[in-house]
Amino acid sequence: MRNLLFAVVGTVALTGAGFAAKPLTKGQGLAIMHERHEGMEDIGKQNKVVRRELTAASPNLAAVRGATATIARHSAEASHWFPAGTGPELGKTGAKPEIWQKPQDFGGKLHNFQVAARALDAAAKAGDLNAIKARYADIGGTCKACHDSYRTDMHH
Amino acid sequence: MPKQRVWDLPVRLTHWLLAALIAFSWWSVKYDHIDWHIWSGIAILTLLLFRLMWGVVGSSTARFANFVRGPKHVVRYLRGDWRGIGHSPLGALSILALFLVTVVQVGLGLFNEDDDGLFAGPLANHLSPDTTDKIRDLHEFNFYLLLGLIGLHVAAILYYRLVRGKKLTKPMITGRAATDAAAGEMRPGKWWVALICLAVAFAISRWVVAGAPPF
Repeated sequence: MRNLLFAVVGTVALTGAGFAAKPLTKGQGLAIMHERHEGMEDIGKQNKVVRRELTAASPNLAAVRGATATIARHSAEASHWFPAGTGPELGKTGAKPEIWQKPQDFGGKLHNFQVAARALDAAAKAGDLNAIKARYADIGGTCKACHDSYRTDMHH
Repeated sequence: MPKQRVWDLPVRLTHWLLAALIAFSWWSVKYDHIDWHIWSGIAILTLLLFRLMWGVVGSSTARFANFVRGPKHVVRYLRGDWRGIGHSPLGALSILALFLVTVVQVGLGLFNEDDDGLFAGPLANHLSPDTTDKIRDLHEFNFYLLLGLIGLHVAAILYYRLVRGKKLTKPMITGRAATDAAAGEMRPGKWWVALICLAVAFAISRWVVAGAPPF
């Protein structure tokens, strides 16, 4: 139920940005796409940092916490990364048009990622290695679920 | 001309499995089955390790020492002055290049990881994310080299078949070919040596899959 609610909120936020607000200018749209690209890239990078630590003989928890906090911060920013009009019609992007054709499903998947990012960060702060590993597996699943449906192979 | 053995079973099996796994690796990564792609790469690693050892202790036509030759021999072959079985001096260059580029491809793959960090080769954790970013590009680039060499390999086989009237594919399946009596005979390897090579190749691959931990 809670997930459904969030999905609805997410949908409204996604589509609402297209209707309620003035349409984005090209410059605004491109600026958001750039921020989105950099943010996603950094999430990937931080994800790799966490994996390196979690598979190390003696994980550096401070490094893990730094990375999970950054991922959680980006995950919150991601709510503003997909306004209508920032798809492939505007510029080079790995974001598929389906994002804006199925806003409810996309919003739900984005929300799952945000929840998982906060849970991972909370686990990192608490410091229990097994819990961190479990939450790390969770967040990977949410990345993949969304990317499988809504991202093309984009090489940069 | 009488038919005689030219390729032993390990050579033929390695050849066709490599061909199949390279095709599967391409397919699996194209259609986003990255986990299968990684396992396919590990299987190729095992085959390459096996072939490397079999190239030292295997049958006479499998041994690198018997087919890797200098440019003088290549020139002589091109003049039509070569009698032998197994890889010709020119073909040997092609096989060496294919082997080398495949080794590089698998080596890069072991350290590769995707953009998101969701899939990683077993050794990627040993390098920084910035370095694996570069490795990803190299892994992609080197595949085109491999593709080019495979194209050359197939084109050469077609050339021999259509222009020179020499069948090269069938001997790689049956192991037998019509050869010049003066060319000599294949000296087979021992089956238990092949099993030892295979066991060692598996052991090394398992160690790599485990992230190459120190002993």
